[in-house]
Amino acid sequence: MEVRVRVFRFNPEVDRRPRYDVFTVEAEPMDRVLDLLEYIRGDIDGTLSFRRSCGHGICGSDAMRINGRNMLACKALVKNFGTNEITIEPLLGLRVLKDLIVDMEPFFEHYRSVLPYLINDEPLPEDGRERLQSPAERERFDDTTKCILCAACTTSCPSFWADGRYVGPAAIVNAHRFIFDSRDRGAAQRLEILNQQMGVWRCRTAFNCTEACPREIKITQAIAEVKRAIQTGRLD
Amino acid sequence: MASFTQTLRRVRVKPNYETIAWKWMRYSAFAMIPLVWGHMILQDVIVGVHRIDLDYVAMRWASLFWRIYDALLLGFAFAHGVNGLRQVLNNFIHGDRARKVMNWLLFLFWLVITLIGGAALIAGVNRAFPLP
Repeated sequence: MEVRVRVFRFNPEVDRRPRYDVFTVEAEPMDRVLDLLEYIRGDIDGTLSFRRSCGHGICGSDAMRINGRNMLACKALVKNFGTNEITIEPLLGLRVLKDLIVDMEPFFEHYRSVLPYLINDEPLPEDGRERLQSPAERERFDDTTKCILCAACTTSCPSFWADGRYVGPAAIVNAHRFIFDSRDRGAAQRLEILNQQMGVWRCRTAFNCTEACPREIKITQAIAEVKRAIQTGRLD
Repeated sequence: MASFTQTLRRVRVKPNYETIAWKWMRYSAFAMIPLVWGHMILQDVIVGVHRIDLDYVAMRWASLFWRIYDALLLGFAFAHGVNGLRQVLNNFIHGDRARKVMNWLLFLFWLVITLIGGAALIAGVNRAFPLP
């Protein structure tokens, strides 16, 4: 099948404003959007810039806006769009560096702000080995361990578009992963950070994040659980 | 075999303006479900908007029950709405100083309208009921 691919282009060193280039590409229904981009860059226009790494939905490098929705180019199959027209744009809410590449630093700054690592200064267990955890305790935060930091959720959030200082769904998801971990002792610190005006209270439960997540994390639910933890102090 | 002890984990997070505002939105929304439905069914369906005049208000406010009802509606609905407006305006007003000004303006707006509404509710309609 023949696919018409419209790609957002912007080179800040040359262009005064962005434009869309249209490429006509021969594709199979099972091809991924990433395959189309690779073909365009390899065979048509070598100046096209985009991020990619594993190509299997794990590294989170190739999140972009495809036909208006945030997704990973490596997980988006041509047949699933139901049309021969595919528009590819960079993620919204972050500065475009070139073509489909955005500046991820503000995103990672928000991520770092929620202390996304295990905090526990208590002495090790008597046997000096692991801090054990029951399967139920592990299950409590299982969903939020799946985040690959692709930024598809945060850049689909209207609250983040309105104010880039909002910590965003991805940072809250990664805070949730440790707040509800029975081995962690930094929950109060994280909840204090997320209790600020630019924390969880900016979430308006639009559910865009949940829809955009390529890992199918129940993000809005995770945010609601963090809100409840702030209000009640309960971490179970 | 490993054994696990499940401990209940609790933390204390100091409430701030945002925590209280969020809670207020939830509680006032719950209170408004019966209040607003009752108000709408009475005013728009049973009485009808074209029959609402000063005489009707005098009749309604002759009863303490309806005055308290309207006071609750004013208290819950208007503060809920103004806080909602604050949330929306936060999307457009980004500067810390501008936000502070906005918060004060909204607070004054809320206070003035609530005081006028409250004064009307307490003073009632200056007309005896039943009407002559």
